[in-house]
Amino acid sequence: MQQKELTEQESLKLITEMIGKTQSHFHESGASTILWGTVISFCALVSFAQSFWNFSIGFDIWILTLVAVAPQIWIGIKEGRSRVVKTYQDSHIDTIWTVYVISIFAMLVYANIVSYTSVKLLAGDGLEIFSKNISTGEVKPYRIFPPSFSSVMMVLYAFPTLATGLITKYKPLIAGAFICYTCFVVSLFTSFTYDMLLSAIATICCWLIPGLMLRNKYLKQKKEKDV
Amino acid sequence: MFKDLDPILHSQLRLAVISLLIGVKEAEFTFLKEKTNATAGNLSVQIQKLKDAGYIDVIKKFKDNYPQTICKITTKGIKAFEEYVKNLQSYLGKNK
Repeated sequence: MQQKELTEQESLKLITEMIGKTQSHFHESGASTILWGTVISFCALVSFAQSFWNFSIGFDIWILTLVAVAPQIWIGIKEGRSRVVKTYQDSHIDTIWTVYVISIFAMLVYANIVSYTSVKLLAGDGLEIFSKNISTGEVKPYRIFPPSFSSVMMVLYAFPTLATGLITKYKPLIAGAFICYTCFVVSLFTSFTYDMLLSAIATICCWLIPGLMLRNKYLKQKKEKDV
Repeated sequence: MFKDLDPILHSQLRLAVISLLIGVKEAEFTFLKEKTNATAGNLSVQIQKLKDAGYIDVIKKFKDNYPQTICKITTKGIKAFEEYVKNLQSYLGKNK
């Protein structure tokens, strides 16, 4: 491009062309989406298998989600370095996912603390909750836990996915989010075992599959650029 | 009565840079160079002119031991661009 004076028509054409160039710039590699789609669905499937076939692997498989934070930080730094432009859209999406991470963390804290707090508060009022086995008549203290907690988590998985899908107009994310909401509704009527299976289906549909599609698109675009 | 078009913006490369920056939060020099197909030397000169006019902010950093130049449009730059487009529309309307 040369440095020259423009006619009014040329100016308008140039502005339209340049704005179009920023809108068509695509850099989402899909790495984070694939990572979390794989980790959460794997953990959920292992939980389902343990509950369905009644065995234990000896440790809490969900610890993998903490381990996955390390590669996520590495992906974040790497992508941040290779990013040559930051759009307002990128900025909004980053904000949505930051709020999502804070919310997930808050929900995990909630699930782990609220059980003990409830027991203590009830004890303070001189109350204790028991469960009774109607076949054997056995009565034992009932451990209060947020009911169908994985259903609530599915709503949380769907929220940033749908927001990102609508902002970017990326249909696989929108479709994934709706499948996730459907799994949430179904999970309201199922036991923990099947909630885990539904969580796996939800995360595969809302993260893993769109992530793989994004990756494919990204690699294709990169290849075209390198040629 | 038509106002004169802003001479800072009414030139091909500077207008291209501002048009790119208006749609993004920030952009690296390499991105601007790729999208405008300008030479590094010419682009540097025009970026400096936009910076001197207060239309853009230029942040110089180091990334992996290489210098990195990040450009951002300023509030003054946004206003100037909006005014430029408004005047441009007046001219085009007049010539219809």
